[in-house]
Amino acid sequence: MSDTTDHYNNGSGDFIDLLERSGYSWPKAIAGLTPVDKASLTQGTTVLAFHFKGGALVAGDRRATAGNSIMYDRCDKVIAIDHYSLMAIAGVPATAFEMARILSHNFEYYRRSQLQSLSTEGKIRALSKLLKDNMGLAMQGVGAVSPIFASYDKKEAKPYIFFYDILGAQFEIQTHTATGSGSPVIRGILEYEDLWGEQRLAERDFKQAAKLAIRLLQTAGQFDSATGQARPEDKIYPVIASITDQGYQFMPEEELAVLFQESTQRK
Amino acid sequence: MFDEPFRWMEAISTRHNYVQEKLKKGQPVLAVPYKDGALVMGFAAQPGKIFEVYDRIALGSLGHPADVERLRMTLLDMAHVEGFNRSDKDVTIARLLQFGIAPAMKQNFEEVMRAPYLVKLLLAEIDFDNKPLFFRLNYDGHWEMFKKGAVISGNEKESDWIQKQIEKTDFASLSLEQALKEACRLWEEGKKQGSAESEDDDEQPTTLAEAFDRWTLEAAVLSTETERKALYRAVTLDEIETLKSAAK
Repeated sequence: MSDTTDHYNNGSGDFIDLLERSGYSWPKAIAGLTPVDKASLTQGTTVLAFHFKGGALVAGDRRATAGNSIMYDRCDKVIAIDHYSLMAIAGVPATAFEMARILSHNFEYYRRSQLQSLSTEGKIRALSKLLKDNMGLAMQGVGAVSPIFASYDKKEAKPYIFFYDILGAQFEIQTHTATGSGSPVIRGILEYEDLWGEQRLAERDFKQAAKLAIRLLQTAGQFDSATGQARPEDKIYPVIASITDQGYQFMPEEELAVLFQESTQRK
Repeated sequence: MFDEPFRWMEAISTRHNYVQEKLKKGQPVLAVPYKDGALVMGFAAQPGKIFEVYDRIALGSLGHPADVERLRMTLLDMAHVEGFNRSDKDVTIARLLQFGIAPAMKQNFEEVMRAPYLVKLLLAEIDFDNKPLFFRLNYDGHWEMFKKGAVISGNEKESDWIQKQIEKTDFASLSLEQALKEACRLWEEGKKQGSAESEDDDEQPTTLAEAFDRWTLEAAVLSTETERKALYRAVTLDEIETLKSAAK
C-alpha cells in the first residue's frame, strides 16, 4: 500500500494504538497548572445501575451543571458502547464523552478486525486503562470521571455491572451501584429496596425496575441540585436503558412518559 | 529496462494477464439490494469472503487471502479513524475508495517491480437515506459504482452475465429470503454461463446442490430494520438451511 497508509495495519485490533499511530494523543496533565476552580467545570450527576430479572438496568438524569449554574438539561449520560455494553458517566463530560467514543470505536474495531467480540473482561479492562491514562488530569481536578459500565456476556449468559474510581480501579457489583453527586441520596434506598422491598432487585421485571429507577432519580433531584428532575411539560425524562441477551435497549420517550406518570402517582 | 514506453506498456499488459490468470478461479460474490437493505453472498471452499467494514459498510472479496486481509485492514483502519476523528456520517465507500485505497492500488499495480495485489473487492453501503449503493474495485485500482447491485468473479464471462441479470432483476422489492434465493439462482446460472471459459469444471461445484454440499455459503446483510448503529449481520444458519433444503 502507498506511504499514506503505511502507518496502519499492525493487526492487533487495538484502536487506541491505531489512533496514536495516526497522531492522536490523550491529554496529559498540564505542568505548572494552578489549581482549577472546580465550581467552574461542568459536572454533577446521578447515574445508577442494578441487576433485574434478565439483565442490568442503567439509568441517569439529564442535567449538566457548572458550580451552581445549570448548563444543560438534556444531557444523555447513558451511552451505548457496543451491542452488549452500556456506560453511564459521572464527572467531567468532556473527558467522559471522549472516553465513551474511544471505547465504542475500540470495541467495534476489535470485533471487526479480529472477527470476534472482545471478551467482557477485556472490555472492562479497556475502560480501566483509559481511566488510568487519565490519572494526571483527574488529579489536577480538570478531568475526573467515575463511570458505571454494564455488559452482557453472551458466552456466560450473564450481565455484569462494574463501577470504577477515578484512577481506574474496577469493582464488580452483584446488586446495585450509583455514582455522581446525587448518588449518596439513593444508595441507601437501593439497599433498602433490595433487602426489604417487595422483591429483591434481581427478581424484578423490567417495568418494575424502570419504575424504581424513575423514583430514585426524582428523589436524587429533590436533594441534589446537580441532578435534574424530569420535566414532562418539556418532554425531559431520565434516560433508562437495559442490557440483556438481546443487547442494549433504550426506553423510548413515549413509553417513558407513560411510566413516569404511573411511577410518580401515590397509590 | 523500461526506458522505452513500449516496454512499460508490455510489462503492464503482462501484469494484467498474470493477475487475471491468478484470479480466474475466484468464485462469484454478489451484492444486491433487498426490501430492507443490502445482501452480500458467495460460496467458498474456505470461509473468509465477506466482512463488516463499518457501521453501514460490508465487503465481499475474492483473490489471495493475504491481499484481501491487507486491504480489508486498511479499509477498517481508515474507516474507524475517520469515524472517530470526524463522524460516522463521513465514512462512505466513495471516500474510502477515491481518496484512500484506489489510488494506492493503481500505484501498486503500475510499479511493475512490486508484487501486484491479487484481489477484487465488492463493497456495499447503506447511505443515511437508507438507500443501498454498490462498488466494485479491481486489482488495478479501477472502481465503479452500481445502484442495482454488483458482482465480482474471476471468470469474466460469468461476471458479465450475472451483472446483466442483476440489472434486470428488481431485487429492491424482494424480501431477504427471496433475494437470497434469487442471488443463489443467478450464482448457479452464472456458473453454467461461464463454464465454457473454465478449464477445471470438474474441480468446482456447478450446481447449488453441489455448492451447498462441498462449500460454505457466506452471506451477510446490512439491514435497515435494526435500531443499532451497526447495520451488518451475518445471515443465520437457519436462514441458510431453508435455502439449502430448497436447493436439494
